[in-house]
Amino acid sequence: MITKEATAAAPAPARTAPAPPRPDKKRRAWDEAPRWQIYLPLGIYLVFTLIPFYWILLFALRPAGSTSLVPWPMTTVHFEKVWTDRSFGVFFQNSVLVGVATLVMTTLVALAGGYALARFDFKIKRAFMLGLLCSQFVPGALLLVPLFEIFAELQMINSLGSVILAETVFQLPLSIILISNFIKNVPYSLEEAAWVDGCNRFKAFRVVVLPLLRPGLIAVGSFAFVHSWNHFLFALMFLNNQEKQTIPVGLNTLMSADSVDLGALAAGGIIAAVPVVLVFAFIQKWLITGFSAGAVKG
Amino acid sequence: MKISNLRNSTRRRASAAVALGAVLALTATACGDDGSGGGGDKGAEGSGKGKIVFWDNNGGVRTEIWKEVIADFEKANPDIDVQYVGIASTEYQSKVDTAIQGGGLPDVGGISASMLAGFAAQGALETLDFRLAKSPLNGKLNKDMIESMRAAGGGDDKLYSIPTSANNGVLYYRTDLFEKAGLEEPTTWDLFYKAAEKLTNKGKNEFGYTIRGGAGSIAQALDAAYGQSGITSFWDSSGKKTTVNDPKNVEALEKYAALFKKVTPAADLNNDFTKMVAQWDSGTIGMLNHNLGSYQDHVKALTTDKFRGIPQPIGPGGKRVQVSNPVDGVGMFQSSKNKEAAWKFIEFATSAASSSKFNESAGQVPAHADAAKDDWIGKAEPTKLAADALSDGSTSIVQLPYYLPDWNTISKADNEPNFQKVLLGDMSAKEFLDTMAEQLNEAQAEWQEQKG
Repeated sequence: MITKEATAAAPAPARTAPAPPRPDKKRRAWDEAPRWQIYLPLGIYLVFTLIPFYWILLFALRPAGSTSLVPWPMTTVHFEKVWTDRSFGVFFQNSVLVGVATLVMTTLVALAGGYALARFDFKIKRAFMLGLLCSQFVPGALLLVPLFEIFAELQMINSLGSVILAETVFQLPLSIILISNFIKNVPYSLEEAAWVDGCNRFKAFRVVVLPLLRPGLIAVGSFAFVHSWNHFLFALMFLNNQEKQTIPVGLNTLMSADSVDLGALAAGGIIAAVPVVLVFAFIQKWLITGFSAGAVKG
Repeated sequence: MKISNLRNSTRRRASAAVALGAVLALTATACGDDGSGGGGDKGAEGSGKGKIVFWDNNGGVRTEIWKEVIADFEKANPDIDVQYVGIASTEYQSKVDTAIQGGGLPDVGGISASMLAGFAAQGALETLDFRLAKSPLNGKLNKDMIESMRAAGGGDDKLYSIPTSANNGVLYYRTDLFEKAGLEEPTTWDLFYKAAEKLTNKGKNEFGYTIRGGAGSIAQALDAAYGQSGITSFWDSSGKKTTVNDPKNVEALEKYAALFKKVTPAADLNNDFTKMVAQWDSGTIGMLNHNLGSYQDHVKALTTDKFRGIPQPIGPGGKRVQVSNPVDGVGMFQSSKNKEAAWKFIEFATSAASSSKFNESAGQVPAHADAAKDDWIGKAEPTKLAADALSDGSTSIVQLPYYLPDWNTISKADNEPNFQKVLLGDMSAKEFLDTMAEQLNEAQAEWQEQKG
């Protein structure tokens, strides 16, 4: 129950002028070090990190039975096989739907919840925050049977809605905490100024606060998307129809009890990884800003 | 005063909305039914028409062949529609267990001997004896496989799954490497050890054998132990004490575990079947123990010119002893609302034509006697050799206790880490087998007590 609005943040104490930077010996030594001393270890680390990815690419692009260390002659037969014969085209669409819907729902609900936590004081606020944090300790597998029963009663088994709902619910606690911290970092006086200019609370939030939350929204949204994209358990348990399954479940079926098609598995792995890599490539800058702002300050 | 009234009114409206929401949610919850049952649901015979759901316990690689069988069935039975759901073998048990608890079981499912006891103990499976007795399948299915399924059901001597096929342990070896080294085919354990040593050249990354140290290691270790000791029964004559820690088995396992790092790659410590098969197919390793299931992978990677798959080596006294591989089959869930149609599908899927088609694709030994005579078996050498070994009396099978509800825990979570300790020399083979024997004897006593 909301009892009163939080007071505006107190003005920050006056600061003295910053002292001129002192010469940093370590920094100077770093700048003067020969470049190879920096790039050689980094290069070795990079090679070490990239070898498994190269191996996946190799298996995906070389013909079955080849032992060549370069993907030549190159073939796309494994990609064609998983995309059409193994229905990865359908799984991909389902995963995109689940990921985008989870992203949208998580972000919207987290915005509302985070705003309430950041801007209002109410009696059980601390207990609520503690509850949100504690909910992170419960593994999804523990709640599988109750969730399954609930969705079965609601006739939502075998519907992508069940997976979207479960993913959203599991994403929300962390997302709400993160968003509330982002909102706390936006000075309350900005909103007050918008009210004075005639905005109501929602319009002030939409026009003034929301644009400043972009890094936070990207961080929370991408986190929700990637998590739901990779999550296996709920899709496996709640979806029975082959045409409704998602990429992680499809990948799992590429390994049978006694036999495994490594070319198809590698091609499936690349198809599964590409959207996540692209998402991270585009939002990397905002993601780092967003997480550091949301996690450290509060 | 006015503000207070407004607040009270808002609160009342909010309370009413919450109450209405709760009532609607409870109503929806009470009325909801997805039309499928859980473990306690007794189901119904149904009309023999309409839709049935089939869960494949080894989905993925077998999806295409099952879809073919289903298409044939639907052509022969146009009023029945079969919905196929392929589930990865590693996740099948947990998915079925969740459905037993929460509802949503299919009508028909792939049920292998290794998971039969758990499902039957939860009352989820329909007994199939009386249906089989009236079916044209009666008398046509391999008797040993039927008995294996009966025994795996948990001791009530009922049949819960109609066998489709048997898998069997195979020793794959590289014919090109053996020829080059002038080695004889590893038909005996002595020849096996000799070849493993001679084919190893660690400097050139060449190894004589690859051992299974990760997931699934216990069955292979027991296969090697019983194969060399020649002991043919898992239990002693009283049926209360296991023979796994018999001194002959201890000696055999010591010798086998000593191969690790001496003639095998060090990475074998974490070998599950995927890694083991992949490194054999792409490396220079002389021999591999696996089952018929990976034959097609080896053909793709090496072609038939470079390897052969033969039954396990012969032990002392010219006798081959192997531990049992789980028989695979299809069963009916008790909660099915259309048991008549479900049985029609099971009957069709295990018929000679379907069994032949399915097993040719899987490379396994068909359960149907007529399918076992088909031409393709003669062309798939390891399958033919396995079928001969299982039927010509040259091989004794040690039946593993799949009927024990604790078998999967004992043979996986409890003892796989201990076998790794044996390979690393941190635990003796005797200590390892004694620990496992103690757990098995306890589980057997508990099972016998429950059985009365």
